[in-house]
Order: sequence, then C-alpha cells, then structure tokens
Amino acid sequence: MSSLPSQWQRPQITREDTSQRSERTRTASIDIGIDMGEKEETSDSITAIFRQRYTQYEKTIQSLFRTDRPCCAAPELDLSTLELNDNYPSGQTNPAASSVLDNVRPPARQLDDDDYDFDDDDGDEEPKKSAPSPLLAKALSSHSQSSEPSRNIAEAKKNATATREKLEADRKAAEEAARSALSTMFFTLENDRDAMLEQQKLEESDRQVNAEANAAQANAPGKLSSANLGASSLTLKHLIARIDAKREKVKVSDMELRNLMSEVRKNRSKWANEDKVGQEELYEAAEKVVLELRALTEHSTAFLNRVNKREAPDYFSIIKHPMDLGTVMKKLKTHQYKSKKEFVDDLNLIWANCLAYNADPMHYLRKHAKCMQKATQNLIPLIPDIVIRDRAEVEAEEAGTMEVDAEGESDDEPLMSSRGRKAPGTKKARKGARTEGTPEVKPPTVHLLRADSLPPGESSQVNIMQNGFLTPLGGTPVPNGISGTSMSQMEIDHDKIDDDSNDVEYQAWKTMTKKARAKVALLRGNRLNPEEPALLRSRTDMGRYLRNEERHLKFLQENEDEGLPRGNGSDKLVDSAEGDDEGDLLPDYYSPLSCVPELPWSLVWHGDSDEVDLQGQDIRLAPKGIFTQPKSELSKRMDANIRQMQDTRKLCSKIAVIKQMQVQTQMYSNQFQRYDPKEFIEADVEDFVVTEEGPIMCHDVARAALQRSVGKIFFHAGFEEYQPTAIDAVTDIAADYIQKLSKTLMVYAEAPSHERQFSPEEMLLHALYENGADVESLEAYIRDDVERLGSRLNGIHERMKFHLTELLRPALTDTGGDGSRMFNDGSEMFVGGDFAEDIGDDFFGFKELGLDKEFGLSSLSVPLHLLQGRMRSTFQNPSASAAVSADGYKQPPPFEPVTHEIITKQIGLVQNFFLAKLHANNEEALIEDEHLQGKQKPPKPRLPPTGKISMPRKRPSNSHGGNSKKKKKPNPAPASTKTALVKDAPPALERTLSKISEGGDEGNGGMMSPESLVGGGG
Amino acid sequence: MANNNDKDKFKYRVEIQQMMFVSGETGEPNAETTGIIEEIVRGQVIEMLLQCTSQAARRGSRSISTDDLIFLIRHDKAKVSRLRTYLSWKDVRKTAKEQDPNGGAGAPDPADLLEDAAAGIAGSGGPMQMKQRKAKIGLPWEVASYFSEQVPEREEDEDEDEVEANYATLQRLKNADERTRGMTKDEYVHWSECRQASFTFRKGKRFREWAGFGTVTEAKPNDDIVDILGFLTFEIVQTLTEEALRVKEAEDQVLMQSREKSRKRKREKFLFHAEEGRTAVEARHVEEAFRRLQTPRPKMKAMRNFSGGVVKSRLMLV
Repeated sequence: MSSLPSQWQRPQITREDTSQRSERTRTASIDIGIDMGEKEETSDSITAIFRQRYTQYEKTIQSLFRTDRPCCAAPELDLSTLELNDNYPSGQTNPAASSVLDNVRPPARQLDDDDYDFDDDDGDEEPKKSAPSPLLAKALSSHSQSSEPSRNIAEAKKNATATREKLEADRKAAEEAARSALSTMFFTLENDRDAMLEQQKLEESDRQVNAEANAAQANAPGKLSSANLGASSLTLKHLIARIDAKREKVKVSDMELRNLMSEVRKNRSKWANEDKVGQEELYEAAEKVVLELRALTEHSTAFLNRVNKREAPDYFSIIKHPMDLGTVMKKLKTHQYKSKKEFVDDLNLIWANCLAYNADPMHYLRKHAKCMQKATQNLIPLIPDIVIRDRAEVEAEEAGTMEVDAEGESDDEPLMSSRGRKAPGTKKARKGARTEGTPEVKPPTVHLLRADSLPPGESSQVNIMQNGFLTPLGGTPVPNGISGTSMSQMEIDHDKIDDDSNDVEYQAWKTMTKKARAKVALLRGNRLNPEEPALLRSRTDMGRYLRNEERHLKFLQENEDEGLPRGNGSDKLVDSAEGDDEGDLLPDYYSPLSCVPELPWSLVWHGDSDEVDLQGQDIRLAPKGIFTQPKSELSKRMDANIRQMQDTRKLCSKIAVIKQMQVQTQMYSNQFQRYDPKEFIEADVEDFVVTEEGPIMCHDVARAALQRSVGKIFFHAGFEEYQPTAIDAVTDIAADYIQKLSKTLMVYAEAPSHERQFSPEEMLLHALYENGADVESLEAYIRDDVERLGSRLNGIHERMKFHLTELLRPALTDTGGDGSRMFNDGSEMFVGGDFAEDIGDDFFGFKELGLDKEFGLSSLSVPLHLLQGRMRSTFQNPSASAAVSADGYKQPPPFEPVTHEIITKQIGLVQNFFLAKLHANNEEALIEDEHLQGKQKPPKPRLPPTGKISMPRKRPSNSHGGNSKKKKKPNPAPASTKTALVKDAPPALERTLSKISEGGDEGNGGMMSPESLVGGGG
Repeated sequence: MANNNDKDKFKYRVEIQQMMFVSGETGEPNAETTGIIEEIVRGQVIEMLLQCTSQAARRGSRSISTDDLIFLIRHDKAKVSRLRTYLSWKDVRKTAKEQDPNGGAGAPDPADLLEDAAAGIAGSGGPMQMKQRKAKIGLPWEVASYFSEQVPEREEDEDEDEVEANYATLQRLKNADERTRGMTKDEYVHWSECRQASFTFRKGKRFREWAGFGTVTEAKPNDDIVDILGFLTFEIVQTLTEEALRVKEAEDQVLMQSREKSRKRKREKFLFHAEEGRTAVEARHVEEAFRRLQTPRPKMKAMRNFSGGVVKSRLMLV
C-alpha cells in the first residue's frame, strides 16, 4: 500500500482515445464493472454507475498530463458536469481523489501491470467473443488457398509469395497505422523491461543454437569442403581448399564460414544444395518462419529453449517428444527436415506439448502457446509444400517427363540444375550419407544459462496471488481423461488471448519498437551496469526532438495565424535525411537527454585550441600561497642566510681558481666549472578550482611542499646537495612528527569541557612539551641556528672577500713594474689592453668569473695567462720580487740579445758556442729563456703545497722536448713561434700569445736569473 | 678479604674521592659510594666508545676520531666549548714542548690544563705567546666547513657563543674560588692536588684495561681520545656529585623538618650549639642522582607518541 503513490507517479496506461481503449483500465474494480457492463446490457444500475464513473475518471486522467501545447492538450474537462453526474463529493473528481480511489486496488494487481496478463475472473466466467482480427482472416483464407496440395512447385511458390506479400502488406499497413497514431498515443515504460529481457533471452537462444550447431559440426571434423556448401563448392573450390588447409588459423566457426560463403554467392542461399531438390526453397521459408516466431518475444520466450529437467522434473514423463524453437532451428541447420510436413509438425508439437503439460486452463503459458499457435497458423502458408528429394531421383524422374516439365524447372532453378550436372558424382554420395547420418549423432548440449519457463519479471509468488489459488508451476500432470475438456478450454482461451490483441496499432507499435525499447531499457536494469555506455545526446534523437518541436510549433502557428516562418536552426544540427528507424517511433521521453536543452556553459572553448576563456567570477580559485612558505621574519632571515651562503660559495670558487692559477702553468678559460647558483624561488601550484572553503587536502602536493621546505633547511644547514632518499626519509619523519604534535594538541583540545583545564596557550605549550620541544628550545634554535648563523656567515663572507683580494693583488697593481713596460712598448692595443673587446666577446672568461664587477676592472682584457703568470710568480717567488721592489734601486739594464755583433765582443771561448746557436736559430738574435713565452719555457721545478717532493720530476714531453731545444737557441722569430703555438695552444690564445712574444722581443732585453739558467740547463 | 676484592674491583677510589672533593663534597665518601660512581663512569665510557665506534663505522672508518667523540656531546655546547679549549691548550703545550726540548721536563702536566684552560678564559689575557699559537679546533659541523675554501682566522673575532658557553665554567670557577678563599695553605695544597685527579693521566694503560678498550673497539684509540675521555670522566663525576649533593640536601631538609616537628619543644638553640657534622654523600644519593640524570626527556620519546609499546631507552650520556 505504501508504494501506491509512487505507483501513481508512474502513469500506467493512458490513451487519448479512451473509448477505443476501454479495456485498458487503471483499476481492477472499474475493469470488472466495465466488463460486466459490456456483457450484461440490461444489468442493474450499479454497473451503469460504474461505467459512468469509469468514463469520468478516464477523462480526469488526461487532466493529469497537462501540456502547454494546444495541439497536444487534452480536451478540456468540464469538471462541473462530472460533478453533476456523479453522486460523489466533488473532491473526488480531481486527480488526487482518483489516486485515493486507486488505493483500493488489490496489491497483486499493482505488480503485474503487464500487457499480456489477463483477468482470470473474466476469462473464466465470461468467455466473450471478439471479432477475429482481419489479419487472421486473411491468413486463413490464404492458407486455405495454398493448403491445397500441389505437385507443381512453382505454383506453390507463387501462392506462397502471394500470401507473403499479402501478409507483408498487412503488417505494413499496421505499422503505418501505428506510425500515424503514434502522436495520439501515450506510451508507458512498463513493458520495456520485459522487452529487454525477452530480447536478451532471444539473443541467448541464438547463441545456444549456434553453439549447438557448431558442436554438431565439430563432430564431423571441420573440413569445410565436406560441409554442405552446395554449389558454391564448385566455384570457390580453391578458396575452400585453401581455407581447409589453414583451418586452425581461421578463427571463425564453421557455421559462420558457411554464412560467409552464402553471402559471397548472393544468388544462392546457404541452404542451397544441388543434391537436394527443393531444399533451398523449403528451408529458406522454414527459417523465416522460425525467426518470425522467435521474434514474437512477447509470447515465444518460454519456447525458445528446451525445457530443463530441473525446472520441471516431471516434464519428460508427461511429454514424450519435447520440442522447442531452438531445436527446430538446430534441426533446420543440420538439414533434418525432409518436407514441410515434418517441419510444421515439429512446430505444432511445441504448442501441443505446452498445452498438454500445462493442463490447468488458467495457466499463463497456455495463453502464450495459443498466441504462438495462432501465429504459426498465419505463417505456415508461407512455406512451400515441398518434399526434398535427392537429385538423382528427380533426374531419373525428369528423364521421363523431360518434355512436360522442362519449362517449370528451368524457370525455377536454372543455375542449380546446370551446376548440379557438372558436379562430380562422388560428392553426391557423401552429402547423402551426411544428411542421413546427422540425426543419429546426438550433438553435445551446450548449457548456457537457460531461461526458465516463466515469463520475465514475474515471480512464482506473484503468479499464485494473481490466480487466487495455488498453481504448481508446470507440475500439474495432465490426466488423460481431462484432455478433451482442456482442449475445449483451449478453444475458449483462444479467443481471449490478450487484451491488447485487438489494438492492432498498439501491437504493431510494440513489435516495431521492440528492439529499440529493449535497447533503451537496458539502462533500467535492477542495478548499475558498469559496462554501460555513457549517456550521450545523439544526432538522431536530437533531430527527432527538434522535428517534434517544430511540428508543435507549426501547429501553433497555424492556429494563431501568425505566419512568421521560423528560422530553421535545427537543420544545421540534424541531418533530416535520417531514416525512419525504430527509434523514430519511440516517444521523446525515451531519450530524455535529447529533450533537455543545452546547458548554458560559462566556460567557452575557443575553436580547437585548448584555451579556455576563464571568467574569474564564475570560478572559485584556491587562494594563492597555500603551498609556499609564508612570509615571516624567520623565513626572511633564512632566505637571507641562504643567499649569503651562495655568495660566499661564489667567492670560494674564485679563490679556487686563483689558487689553481698559482700552481698551474697553463690555464684555460673553460677549465673551471663556474659556480652560478640560482636563487631559491618557491613556485606555487598552478591555479586550481576548489568547490568550497576550507583547508585543501592534497597529500601529494603537501608532501612536495614539505619536501621543499626540508630541502631548504638542509641547504640552510650547509648541505649543498643531498640524496633524494635522504630528503624523502627526513620528509617522512618530519610529517610524522608534525602529525604527532597536532594529534597531541587535538587530545588536549578535544577534552570534554568539564575536564578541560588548560587555556589554549597552555595546551599548545603542553603539546610542545610532550613532543620534546618547548619555547626555549625553539627560541634557542632561532637564536643560534638562524640569527647567529647569519652573522657568522657574514663574517666568513667578509674574510673570504678579503682573502680573495689578497690573492688578486698582484694582478690588480700592474700599472707599474716590469709588466707595464712590456705593454707600453707594444702597439696601442696593449696600452688599452682591449684587443679582446674588439671582437666583443668575453675572451678570457673574466666576465664569467665575475671578476670585473668584483674589482671594478675597467676592461676585461687582461689575458688570463698574464694574470696567471703574475699570480704564479708572486706565489713562487715572493721574496725575490719583494727584494727588488723593496731596495728601491733601479733595475739593471737588461741583457742584450745575442747577435753577431755582440758575439764578437765576447770572449773567444764562447764565441763558437754562440755562433753555433745563432746558426741553429736562423741567424737571429738569441733571447733569454726567461723571456720565452708560455710553453716554450722549460717547466720549472715546483713544489706541491705539502712541501714534499713525492715523485721524481717528470721529464718534459716530446713536444716540450722539441720546444726546449729551440729555447736553448733563443727564438725571436715570430713566424716560428706562431707555428709552434698553433701546435700547442688553444686557438683562442694564439693571437695574443704571438703578439706578446713580439712585444717581448722588442721591449725586453735578455735578463738572466739564476733560475733561468737552471731551467736552461735542465 | 672483601676489602681486597673491592680494591681489585675498583681502581679509581682515590681519584673519585678527589674529584668529588673538588666538586663540592666535603665529607669522606665511603668505598661503596665511590664504587657505584666508578661503575657508572665505566658504563658511560663504554657506551661512549660503542657509539663512537658505530659512528665511525657509518663514516666508513674503523678507528674512532676525536670528532666522533665530540659529536656525542655536541648538544652540550658548554661542554664542547670546554673540551675545545682543553684540546687547544693541550696542543699548545705539545708544540711548546717540541720546540723547547730543554723545557720538556719542566713542561706542565696535561692534567693541569683543565685549570689552565679555565684560567686562560677567566684571565682573558693569558700569556701572549701562547695565544698566538693557540689553534682553534675546527669541527666538521661548524659554519666554516660549509665552504670549500678554508678561511684564515682573524685574531680579533671572539666567538660570542663561546663566551656564553663559558658561563658555566666561570660559575664553577667562582664556586671553587669561594671555597678556596678561606683555606689555609695546607688545605689549598690538598685542594690543588685533588684538582689534578684524573682517570687517565699517567694511568693510560690502567684506563684502557678498565674501560675495556680491546673488547669495545677494535682499533686502538689514540692518546687524544684517551685524554678526551679523561676530561669527560671528570665531568661525569662532577655532574654526578653535584646532583647527588642536591639530592642529599633535599633529603636533609626533609629530615630536618620532620625532626624539628618532633623535637620542637626539646630543642633550644643556645650560643655554642654544635652544628651537626656534615655527612658524606651516600650510595643511595648517587643512585638517585643517576636516576634523575637518566630520566628520559620528552624529546627522546616524542616519536614514539601514540604508537604504544614499551619505550626502550638506552643509556644516556651524562
């Protein structure tokens, strides 16, 4: 009872055309009243009242479904007249009252509102005659026409085609009628589930039949050529042979292959067999009939598959020859029928079996069986009355009556006969053996989920309640004596098959839209189907909806005579060329998606790009800076410390470079890795949208943020780099600790109010204490590890800077001393020292090192090696240079280069030696080793910083050896120097070096030092 | 016999007595007390060595270094500071001895360094030539080690937190000063003798055996480590004694109160009422002091919060 309101909300059955649909009443009571009224014309007044009230309520129903469209609106109800006619209080006439009235219905009734259930009381008490449907009449007539036995196949076929055409025409007419009536009908959804279930069952049965047929095929090992492919085997001989050879690679069943073959050969059906005369025609028609019958899912469901012993234990004791549509189909496929009669007998056996087993006249299956029987009667005339015969036999016959019947035969199957004659005789025998052999072979039954004999959606309990008394399901034995009466009852029942059977349009609609409805109804299963495709607006649905709308609109316009032609915007959306498929017949509300107008969307997609036009006011963006370090004094200080550390490290790298200069003979600008730290910038997450206020819980991002903070603290503690695992571990520990801290705080904060003894500040302090921290330690951390660290870092930075300038001093004070002279005497470029800037690049990498900014060097052109040389000399020989500059005396004049003129002034002992040297040096002036440049110099002995001589001094390498030879004979020739340099020095330094060596030649005379002598000797 | 056994078992009775005297204990502690203290100290030393060894193993080294040892007490900044001062002075003396072979014999004993280090800080001046050569002991976790280049020290910068860390030392010196102020010459001699008490000085071999160096660590710790341990053992005894004295004081107070309550009437103060002689610290006081020092701090078990189970705490270094 409690479910009644919801029941009411789902409109059951309503038609515009109430008078026609008088049987389809809403309530049982009214139903009874009407039926009684119809039967007993002159009955008591109660019936009359009932009828009157029924019509009234029928009318009120329309008022429930109100529409703003005048075309579809229900005719206005004059409620006042209703009231007048009715004795009942006015309040009951409104829909609410009728719903109250509706409550009177017996509960069983609510549950089975199926179309094809019928009122048992009616059926039993008052069998009423209804006019036989025109369809049946026609079928019968045609049947009588064609049933007359005829030897002439062609004639029979003609008859059959005529009947078929007629039937088709009838159905077409019904469909047309349904289509035209579609807009006037109100359809309900209640049958859809059944439609779906029936459809499912049908498909399942198909599968089963296929599987069984395949299994039967599998018995005879799958040689395609041995399979019955009819005439096709001739033309496609090679293909078939090929397929047979590779049978295991072809992943289709024999059945499918055969279907494919028959498709390839359009003009021959898959049943064609040149050995069997008439098989094609008979089987084609028979298959159609079976398919038709199966398609009547409303009734055929129970007969699709074999009755299972589990469902009806005693079935096989009563029914000796069980039969079902699936078996018939299987038999068809295995060519077990020899004639029409066999086939028809099998069909009738199904219905007879059912009626025999379910002897109870009220059993619901009987009705289905009757329906099916009727349908079978209608369809049987379609089958030509053919007895299949072996071709050999026919040919033998033909030989006799060749002249007589030649025309008829050739007319019918010219191809087959001609091909048949070409066919090898061996095939014949094999085919024959096969067809006979198959019936014996019991194909293994494939057990799929078999639908039970109950119609879907009805439990046995419901059934019992409906009937009013207990009906053992399918278990009633049929006493032999009662069979006669049951037959008569069958006859009686026959006329009252279904309430709906009279309504041709509705029936037509139901069958036409069955598939579409089943498809739609899949969405309404008892539970969610995870594989269900998404609900999408389809073009066709949209189009239909728009067309309907247009139709309504047109109607409106015609009525109001406002002839403004509406712009057809819908045409763009919809291809109106859409075929009238089944879905077309479904009312709009079957696809609610297409009825709903497009939602206004604040985000506009521009073209195909992924750009979205964000309109900020529509989107709630998460506030910025949730995942970055908040700006605080502490963070500022820490950032400052980190920056300071980076600066100091930069200085360190410079110091390292200079120290390297001191010990190394040759420097390359790319030798040092530049330390160029990047500033720490905490990137915030990108904009994202939140649904509501409150903390944002995002584990991954929060962890990443914490990790970054941990990394920062690491750096602050002096780590330049760290392993990811280390930072992961520390992050986890930190997260754990903070969780515990907050948990402790929660414990304090969530204490019941009467037990709470701490103020919030105290709670915080307690929580901190419990977790091993307190304000003092935190303060101490900030004081010692942040602030004091900062001041210390500052101090270290200052000292580093000082240290660096100390190291660089010799290079910076090069305005005086011997170096300047070298520059002065050279070209103008040397004075300015800007030869590198002409090219405009950072010739020596000074800019890279940042030395210019550091010391305000005007130009960057001090060559690295010069700088280095000076560094080195000061490092190597600080005392000597100090001594020279300290005593303040003028330096002695440099020694002149050794030339021919000078040699003559020398003592005779050395003259020959010098002459030899000069000769070796192309008669040019000899300069001192000291003034040789770069690599030409022999390496000087050096001590490592430790002061220990760990290894014996390396011998100069080969190239050095070559150079040192030259050095012994001083080398003033620029050209030769150049070539030597090209060999050794990097190209960047080449130019400079050669120029310097020139300058050195001109400006500097030979200056001897003990060191150089040592070097020369070595 | 038992006495003999004790003597065998406890090897540092005299030293501990002296240390306790320096730390403020006036009375004569009995053998039981010193025995307990010795056991405690030994346990601490072994624990330190174990931790150092594992630390060194983590570094990938088999032998422990002074850094490992200092790392254990890194949180006690005052102690680290004292230790560093001690070490630097030790270094100074060593180099002085090397440079001046004549004065080698006359060079002060390392044990005096404790005093001298303190004096050096307190006196703020110190001998100039010493200061010049005094090298600072750098620790790997200090700021200077953040950078790849070593920076030459500037003479003038006085570490401010060292000043702060020295506060405790100064306090101790002040206490000692107070105590020695009223001493006679003989008493002061005794006092200064006591101040030289050490577990390690000229007893290196005994100490190694006592602390079980061979079994605890594989490598042979060098003299530096032994010296540091000597320094630390003195600190341990000092801390223990101070704590024990505090315990005893509290106990005395409670006793006094109860006694006063009971004898309020009987006792009258008169002019030459003899003060009851101070009793020495007893074993139970030391035990209580040790217990107090071993009480786990919340910091140690914070990570075990909410996870249940028994918190196993290891021996804490005093």
